[in-house]
Amino acid sequence: MKISKTIYLFFLPGLLLYSIFFLYPTVSALFYSFTDWDGLSDAYQFVGVGNYERALTGDSVFRKTVGNNLKFMLMVVVFQTLTALVFAMIVLKNTKANLFLRALYFFPTILSSVSVAFIWAFIYDPSLGILNQILELLGLDFLQQNWLGNSDIAIYSLAVTQIWFHAGQMLIIFVAGLQAIPEDLYEVAKIEGASKWQTFRKVTWPLLAPSATIVIAYTTIQSFKAFDLVFAMTGGGPNNSTEIIATYIFDVAFRSYNFGYASAISVLFMIIIAFITFLQFKALRSDRISY
Amino acid sequence: MINKKISITSLLIMPLLALAGCAGESPDSSSESESGSEDRTQISFIHWRGEDKEVFDDIIAQFEKEYPEIGVEMNIYPSEQYQATGQRMLTDGSTGDVFTSFPGAQFEAIANAGFFEDLSGEDFVGNFDESLISVGEKDGQQLALPYQLVFNMPVYNKGMFDELGLEVPKSWTEFQEMADTLLENDITPIAFPGADIGPNQFMNSMMMNNAPDEEVFQKLQNGEESLTNEWWVKTLEDFQLLEQKGYIQPDALGTSQDSAMAMVANEEAAMLATGSYHMASLLDLNPDLELDLMAPITVEESEAEYEGINTATFMLAINSNSEKKEEAKEFIRFLSRPEIASQYANETGQHLTVNDVEYESEVLQNTAYWIDERKTRFQPRFLITNAQVEAAVLSSIENVLGGADPMEAAEEAQQIVEENLE
Repeated sequence: MKISKTIYLFFLPGLLLYSIFFLYPTVSALFYSFTDWDGLSDAYQFVGVGNYERALTGDSVFRKTVGNNLKFMLMVVVFQTLTALVFAMIVLKNTKANLFLRALYFFPTILSSVSVAFIWAFIYDPSLGILNQILELLGLDFLQQNWLGNSDIAIYSLAVTQIWFHAGQMLIIFVAGLQAIPEDLYEVAKIEGASKWQTFRKVTWPLLAPSATIVIAYTTIQSFKAFDLVFAMTGGGPNNSTEIIATYIFDVAFRSYNFGYASAISVLFMIIIAFITFLQFKALRSDRISY
Repeated sequence: MINKKISITSLLIMPLLALAGCAGESPDSSSESESGSEDRTQISFIHWRGEDKEVFDDIIAQFEKEYPEIGVEMNIYPSEQYQATGQRMLTDGSTGDVFTSFPGAQFEAIANAGFFEDLSGEDFVGNFDESLISVGEKDGQQLALPYQLVFNMPVYNKGMFDELGLEVPKSWTEFQEMADTLLENDITPIAFPGADIGPNQFMNSMMMNNAPDEEVFQKLQNGEESLTNEWWVKTLEDFQLLEQKGYIQPDALGTSQDSAMAMVANEEAAMLATGSYHMASLLDLNPDLELDLMAPITVEESEAEYEGINTATFMLAINSNSEKKEEAKEFIRFLSRPEIASQYANETGQHLTVNDVEYESEVLQNTAYWIDERKTRFQPRFLITNAQVEAAVLSSIENVLGGADPMEAAEEAQQIVEENLE
């Protein structure tokens, strides 16, 4: 069958947008990562791998941001995935009540991140915030904390907000994945006398692996890029305890006017995310399900 | 054939439509309505003071009435966004014929990129108080003209002090005695918004007499000074004392600006560790307050060199890439007229750097003596031109308020400073 050459034109819009919004910025970032460009001047000098050397060996704040990001990512990936999965199993059947609950759980996702940041900053406020007030009402004063002002726990407080914000979105993916599992398999498992845990472990989880892979990979990327939430709630403080790579790139580029160095960190950032996502794909082995 | 042409055309148009749809978020903008007039020159004015939109709209209307051949399109960006992207908008000269700059790192970056038109020798420079505009100078050129004058030092409840028989302390010993008296009366001496602007505002008055050398941060960035030296370690120890003795509220690092203001407005706290720019807002919250300014003197009276902190900011400038420089100068000339500056000052509740401004509001009149009669120094934080160094300095304060030893916090911060030495 002869394909008209016109068909190739249909690639153009996508290719053009991809080139403008992804390819060009990525190649530019890579190029500028080898320079000392300040982001404003026409002039810049090539510094070789100096920016990369600085990030990896001579920048204690960058190392701290990587550590913060890993803590944040681990907490969000584990608890957001579990929360979404548990709630997905609860609201799996298409009853009216469950449809309402799914919409309710999904609701935070449609809010703007800055609004979420303001709401949660208020919740966490040590004197006016409702979290400490509720704890006091319940007689749990000993649990009251300076949620965003204590550098030991601030990153975890942010992670809770991130989980609240995005768990509903992941719940929808899990619901779709769970509903796609054939009922027959559950019937067979029941006839074979499998316990609930065995059914989950041997039937549900393996068949849910493709959805779980998407959820975990997406959650990982999302938690690395939680710029707006962190920026609006803590600005990276106190004492850099909530500074993550994305907010640090912003500081270096737009406050220190060091675009060359910020570009190098961005490239390293991309490599870190790609590496972690690759490990997750390998670990979940979503392509090896055989039934 | 026609269908084929239509499909090809639509394919070419689609990306353009998509790009149009992706156009950036519009800032808050005001534009005169007669831009259709061909002999009218339209200039762009960009800044970050959203709260001043109304008064600027009025001033621009007056300007356009007097100069019908010039139109002014004002675009206002949130300050964080302006700090991040303001200078990038200046690159091709189409935006920001008149623009504003923060002192410090942004001023340095714009100056280094060559976007400031030299205003030295312009007649309107004489409308400004010479002693307050040096922050807009570089290499002997007047690159920008600071318009606003703020005092970045605690606002205090003068009425409460009078009631308790307290006087403004003149030494660190007297300051602690004053704070103890307030505590005895169940009043928190200082409301400190540690979650946002507290550290970067309060550090100025806390260090002003510990390091009277105005070049201390320049030396720090050159490697000639260290945060582990006495001037900064003592400043951190003073912060530690405030925290340990309860002179600032518990959980101060989690307290936002709004919460701290509420504490002062409700008279739970006696001082707000921010600056003069919050006086109008405090009076909105509680009109019965009688307010003034007071900086902690952290040394003995005989050693004190400064009484407070000033910042000349909102620096008016002309884009060197602009093709409408003469019209832009006309607009700055108009803004620097005493009657226009007085309108701006009174309607925004700000002191200005313009000469002969008449302050009408009580709070501006009551604090105007800080301009001429008190010895203030320019905000030290704005003399840190490297933002990473500034972040390290501020982090050390947060570290101490979080429980760290002052010397250890200073050492940690100094390590970051050394990593960022030019």
